[in-house]
Order: sequence, then structure tokens, then C-alpha cells
Amino acid sequence: MGAPMDVLEIRGVVKSFGGVRALQDVTFSVRQGEIRAIIGPNGAGKSTLFNVMTGLFPPDSGEVIFDGERVSGVPPYRIIRKGVGRSFQITNIFPRMTVFENVQVALFAHHRSSRNPVGLARRYPAVASEALGILGQVGLAEKYEQSASILSHGDQKRLEIAISLASRPRLLMLDEPTAGMSRFESRETVELLRTISREQGLTLVFTEHDMDIVFGISEKIVVLQQGMVIADGTPAEIRANPQVRKAYLGEEISA
Amino acid sequence: MMATIDVSFLTVQVLSALRQAAFLFLISSGLTLIFGVLNILNFAHGALYMLGAYFIYALTLHLTGPAGFVVALLAAPLGVALIAAVIETGLLRRIYVQEEIYQLLLTYALVLIIDDLAKIVFGPEYKSIPKPDAISGAVTIFGGTVPVYTLLVLVLAPAIALVLWYLLYRTRTGKIVRATSSDREMADALGINMSALFTLVFAFGAILAGFGGALAGPARTVFPGVGTEVIIESFVVVVIGGLGNLWGALIGSLLIGTLETVGIIVFPEFEMSLIYLLMVAILVVRPWGLFGRPLKIKALSEKNLGMEAQEISPVHFSVNPLVRVIPVLLLLAVPLVTGRFYQYLLTQIFIASLVAVAFNLLLGTTGLLSFGQAAFYGVGAYTVGLLATKAGVSTLPALLLAPVFAAAVAALIGFFCVRLSGVHFAMLTLAFGQLVFTIAFKWYGFTGGDNGIQGIPVRPLPGGVEIGSTQAMYYFALAVVGVSVEILRRIRSSPFGSTLKAIRENTQRAAYLGVNVKLYQWAAFVIAGAFTGLAGGLYALMEKSITPDIIHWTKSGEPVFMTIIGGIYTFAGPMVGAVVFTVLNSYLVAWTEKWALVLGIILLVMVLLLPGGVVGFVNEKARAAFGKRGWVRRWTFSKSAAS
Ligand SMILES: Nc1ncnc2c1ncn2[C@@H]1O[C@H](COP(=O)(O)OP(=O)(O)O)[C@@H](O)[C@H]1O
Ligand SMILES: [Mg+2]
Repeated sequence: MGAPMDVLEIRGVVKSFGGVRALQDVTFSVRQGEIRAIIGPNGAGKSTLFNVMTGLFPPDSGEVIFDGERVSGVPPYRIIRKGVGRSFQITNIFPRMTVFENVQVALFAHHRSSRNPVGLARRYPAVASEALGILGQVGLAEKYEQSASILSHGDQKRLEIAISLASRPRLLMLDEPTAGMSRFESRETVELLRTISREQGLTLVFTEHDMDIVFGISEKIVVLQQGMVIADGTPAEIRANPQVRKAYLGEEISA
Repeated sequence: MMATIDVSFLTVQVLSALRQAAFLFLISSGLTLIFGVLNILNFAHGALYMLGAYFIYALTLHLTGPAGFVVALLAAPLGVALIAAVIETGLLRRIYVQEEIYQLLLTYALVLIIDDLAKIVFGPEYKSIPKPDAISGAVTIFGGTVPVYTLLVLVLAPAIALVLWYLLYRTRTGKIVRATSSDREMADALGINMSALFTLVFAFGAILAGFGGALAGPARTVFPGVGTEVIIESFVVVVIGGLGNLWGALIGSLLIGTLETVGIIVFPEFEMSLIYLLMVAILVVRPWGLFGRPLKIKALSEKNLGMEAQEISPVHFSVNPLVRVIPVLLLLAVPLVTGRFYQYLLTQIFIASLVAVAFNLLLGTTGLLSFGQAAFYGVGAYTVGLLATKAGVSTLPALLLAPVFAAAVAALIGFFCVRLSGVHFAMLTLAFGQLVFTIAFKWYGFTGGDNGIQGIPVRPLPGGVEIGSTQAMYYFALAVVGVSVEILRRIRSSPFGSTLKAIRENTQRAAYLGVNVKLYQWAAFVIAGAFTGLAGGLYALMEKSITPDIIHWTKSGEPVFMTIIGGIYTFAGPMVGAVVFTVLNSYLVAWTEKWALVLGIILLVMVLLLPGGVVGFVNEKARAAFGKRGWVRRWTFSKSAAS
């Protein structure tokens, strides 16, 4: 179905929770290097889709294909090792570790050093400088010594992005990466993501509430409503789509 | 065989199985209800059962005759409920926002306290509770002789179950309880008065336990510590049925009641092992029990409870290697200035330290509360004991095999346990530990049963080094423990150790780093098991005799105690705790019989006031006093990055 350049394909994914049909026959694909937004009102099923795509739970039916390989039903840690990174809507970090350690441990996992029970963690200078590099990228280098739990909300979000980047993903999925950030912080974060995507050829799938951001950065957009894909196209196509305009009551998307 | 089973025999056995199930259900329904709503695994539930039995004992001393018995039967559970309400409002409530293990530890401290208080008030001996004549006879049913009291139990317990069902399914409060139990956040969001609900449910669960005790007391006997047996059985019931699920408790009670009755007839020696085996079998197929499902209960919002979680932060200190050498030098010099008593005491401390440090690789580093470490200690001790006495294996090879066998057993047990998390994990390790205990306790042919193994020979090490004397054993234990502790310290500071910490901090996020979380937890479990086994082997050499007591679950509580005392997020904490515990233990035992009470109170105070432990507290103070650097060299990565 998908073109050879597709890095991610979602085919007919269905997921219900009890009586709630959170995802109904969701199908779309993401090209290599693309910046793709998934939008939709609260409860549309965006986070559920992220969870299915990253193996937190399997879909009831349908499949998720990453790099031509079926990954639905594969546990998260294996999907991550194939080159997928993810951040969560509700910040998910290692609170009682320092900022530096948060990224360091992610790098240990990525470089498969985690298995080493005898070497000293602090005797990994390459990992240390790599961690500092990533922290520098997200603007947290100065705070490396702080406990992650005392960071501001925005910094915690950035730290989670840093953690996700540490596993050097080819596909990065960010569930509301700017949630709770100030407008200024959001802009900065988005710029950062755009730069990283461009520099590293990283495919980016993200959800976002701020429509200016969504239309400013994404190359393609999928619109979910009540678990169904109601539109899939370029920002211009989405803007022009009457169904989308109706769903959003014409408020947020200005033509 | 079948032909010889007649109807009368069958009748007696079926009724006896049902009676056993009835007692189990009364206790475990309360346990599971409390867990469902409060998300607390109440270790003290067995102690509440015991109080129910003691209360009816005390009441029937004054209230005689059928009417007196009825009054006593009703008043005893209410007395228990009152005590439970005090416990909930006075103690538990303070730590709801803390991590769940602290709640579990608090109830464990209560077990120590209540058991010893019962001993003080009622005496250490077994008490039997007189029944009025009207219900102390027996009747003949299908040719079998059945005590009238059994019939009474079989009427009353289902009646209580019906009342319970009515309250939960037909009243408004009951509906709220069930809603809270299945979705706490929802209940939280609905603005239900959680405080009152929690007190109510805890007291109500206690009534069930108290009633179980009051009803079972006259049929069995009561003695201090009866609760520690009862609680394990109830744990098995609720684990089998699914934690927090009442139907599960019912089915679990019937299964265990039946199995115990059948077991006594068919495999009298291994009756207790059977119930653990059944549990294992069920959990292999359904890790969360027959009716259970993975619970993902988030902590209550702090706002709703009007309090703040106390932040216990791991301290990033690393002691200068030179600083570490000083205590070792001091310890090397100890035998020069002290006699055998202190050498023996310190040897005990070394062994306890190893157990505690190994345990804390699980708790403090990986975030897994194991309540079954005594099993690995026991496997190590019995490995040395059996190899030395039965196979004539020399001391050093026997000792080296101790961690190997312990690791093998840990690998097997861990395989099942790491599929679960939180209190489920704790309970499963506990039950597996008890399985090992029952085997050692009953297998007379192999382990010597409750007699244990005496006269374990301590042979010279290769090269003819004698380690039989107290002083030689002191140095030997110091060396073995010293090397082991250093290895464990290395493991904790390695990338593997960092990964374990990440798992502790956030299991889900760790999985999303590409870490196979279960595998790492399993590895940590096996490593901890191996070193615990080594400590057990040393113990066998030090004492030259062992009994199954060292495998009992209450023994598994010791490293928990030491670690909490010393400091969970520090490496040295468990060792400090081992010193405190061992010294208290040996002096208190000599000085007072109430040492469990003292330990319980200390644990209680620590959990409530100083959850970071002594070392954590000192570190915090040092940091406050000396600034960021604290009192020891603090490593920074920049140093290593630059090197
Ligand atoms: N783990 C879950 N259990 C039950 N229902 C869920 C779960 N996750 C999501 N849902 C339900 O699925 C629907 C979609 O939710 P979600 O994916 O979080 O939407 P979004 O991220 O677009 O706001 C909602 O109705 C939500 O209540
Ligand atoms: Mg969402």
C-alpha cells in the first residue's frame, strides 16, 4: 500500500476500551524525514494512537508497520531499539536522578552499555560528552547537576525530549511536546524540533494543540475525531477541508 | 482408595473444608477490600484477626452462657474495628502520599507491636476459648460426627458474606467503595470524601478480620503470633483470587480450604507446601490471579488529602576510597582489643550487612520490595549444612556453592515474581519464601525438618588455614563480606546499576529507553539472591547449626527493617541498619523479652518521621551544613568527562 519511502504505516487500527471506541479503522502513513502532526479535539484518540504505535498496548485489529516491519504486538523496548523514540503527554522522566543522569542512562541503554555491571558509570567519558551535547541541544546544559524533579515544567518537557533523542531514533513521536509551556517556550521547542529533524533526517510525528505551531511546522497533518481519521493532507488541504473547519468550529484554523 | 471412602468420612471432610474456607474468607475479604480501596497491603490484618480472638477470649471470661457468648462474638470485632480506626486515622493517614512500600512497612511495624503487646497483656501461652454447652457438642450427619460449632460457622460466615454483599452492592456507600476500588482517580475527581471513606473501609475490613478471629478462636486456639500464620494464608488466598477482588477472595478461600483439608489426608507432610504450589500454578497462567487484573492505581492527589509527599532524594555522594579504608582497618584491629563476645557480635553484623546490602540492590536501587530474602539465605545455609554433613564437602567449596544454589533458586522464583510489580511482587516473593520454608521445615529425610542440621563441621581452608575459632571466623567473614559488599557497590555504580535506578524511578520510561525491564529486574533479583545465599552460607559456618527458623518470612522482614533504619537511597544505609538491628537484637533479647515491640516502634517512627533513614538524614544535614559538597567528596561527571 505505502510507498517504499514510508517509514511508518498505520493500517486499519482499531482500539476499544470497554465500550469506548478510542480508535476506529485508523489508516495513514508517514514518509521518511516528514514532519507530521496528528491533531484533533481532546479525547479524539491521539494519545491512544501513540500508545498503539509504540507498543504500550496492541491494537484490537489492524497493524502498525515501521520500516516495512510489523511492530504491532511487539513490546515497547523492542520497538524503541528498532529506532523509535517517544515522549509522553504527561511528562515522563526519572525524577530523582539528575538531569545529566536522565540522559546518561538513556545513552547507556542505546549503546547497550546497560548490561555492564562492573564498569563505573562515571568512567564513560564518551557517553558523558554525548549526554552534555544532547542537553546543550535542548538548552539544559547548565542545569545538568540539578535533580530532574525540581526542574520547571517546561524544562522537564525539554528533558524528556532529550531522553528520547538519546536513543538516536529515526522516528520520533512526541505527544504534546509543548503542553503547559509558555508561548515563547513552545516556539523555542518547536524550532528545536524542526532543526533536529532537518539536521538528522529525523521523521517527526507529534500532537499539538496550538494550531499556529501545527500549521507552521508540519508537512502533513492527520485529523482525528472520535477515533476516526476525518482528514489527511498538507496544511493547505487541511485548512481548506470543510469537515475539519466544522470540527474545529472555524475558530482555531484561520484560512 | 476410592472404595474405602465412605459417605460419613466424606461428609466430615467436606464440612471441615468448608469451615476452613469460611474462616479464610472472613479474613481475606477484609484484606482484599482494604487493598482495593486504600491500595494498602495490610500486613497487620493477621494481627487484627488475633485481636478478635483475644477479645472474645477476654470477654468470655466474664460473659458466660449462650447470651454472653453471642455478645462477646459481636463485641470482639467491634473492638477490633475501633483499634483499626485509630490506626488508620492516627498513623496510616499520615503516609498515604508516600510510596506504597512505606504503607506496607507501617503495617508490618504494627504486626511487631501488636504481637508483642498481646504477649504482654495475655501471656505467651496458647489460650483456648470456652464455648457454651449448647454449641460445644457434636451431631451425626450421614454417619459422620460433626461439631455443632462447625455448623454454626457454616451458617454465620455465609450470612456475613451476604451482609457484605448487600452493603457493597445495594447501598450508596457500597457503590462508592466499589467505584473507588476500580477507579480511584475517578472517585477522587468526583470529590468523594476520601478520608472518611478510607477510615470506614479500613475499620470495616478490620471487623471482618476481627470476626474471623472471634469465630475461629473457639474452634482453634489463640496465641501471640498466630496472626503471622494467618496473614500468609490470606495473602495466598487473595493472590490466587486477584488482589482487591472479593469474588476472588471467595473462590481462593474455597480452593485453599479444600486443598488444606485434602492435603492433610493425602500428603500430611507437605500440606502447607501444597497451597504455595497451587498458588504458583495459578500465577503461571494468570499472573494477576484468577479475577485480578494489572492494577494501575496512581497516588491520590495531594491536594485532596491536604498534604505533601516527603521528598526522599537519593544523595549523590561517593565516599573517598581512603575514607572507605578506615573502617576496614579499624575492623581488622578489633580482635586485638576485644574478646569473643564482640567478635561474634561483629561477625553477625557482617553477615546481616551483606543480607541488607544485597536486599537494597532490589529495594533502594531497583525499587522492588522483596519479602522473601530469607529463602535465599536459607538455601545458602542449607547448601553449606547439607554439603558439609551429608556429602563431606570441604568448607570453602561448600561456601562457594551456596551463592550458586541460591542464585539458581532466585532465578526460578524471580522468573515468576518480576512479572508482577509493587505489592504483588512483595506478596509473591513472600509466598515463595514460605514455600521454601515449608519444604525445609517438613522434609525430615533431607533437611532434618524442624530439627535442622546440627554439628556442621568447619574444615580448614586450602593451605590449612583454620577458620573454626571465633576470631578466625571473624576475619574470614570480614573478608568474604568485604569483597561481596565491594562487588555490590560496583554493581550499583555501573551502567547496569544506573539502569536499575532508572527502572526504580520510572519503569515505563525505562522500557521506552529500549530496556528490557523484566530482564534487568530478574538479573538484580538473581544477584541479590546469590549474595544473600552467600551470607546464609557464612551463617551456617558461624553457628555450626541451622534450623528452618532462618527461612521463616519474619526473617525476611529483617533486611527490610535494616534498610529502612539506615537509609534506602544510600549504599551505607543498610549496613548502618544492620549494626543497629543486630546490636538492638542481641542486647534487647538479653534485657527484655519485648524486643519485637521496640523494633516495631522504631520502624514505625522511622517510617513516619525519617523515611530517608539515618544515613539519609545525616547526609541531608551534612549537605545543609557544609554546602553542596557535603562531608565527603562529591563526584561530578565533568571530572570524569574531562579525564
Ligand atoms: N487506558 C485507557 N483506558 C480506558 N479508556 C481510555 C484509555 N486511554 C484512553 N481512553 C479513552 O479513549 C479515548 C481517547 O483518549 P486519548 O487517546 O487520550 O485522546 P486524546 O489524546 O486525543 O485527547 C477517550 O475517550 C479516553 O477516555
Ligand atoms: Mg492526549
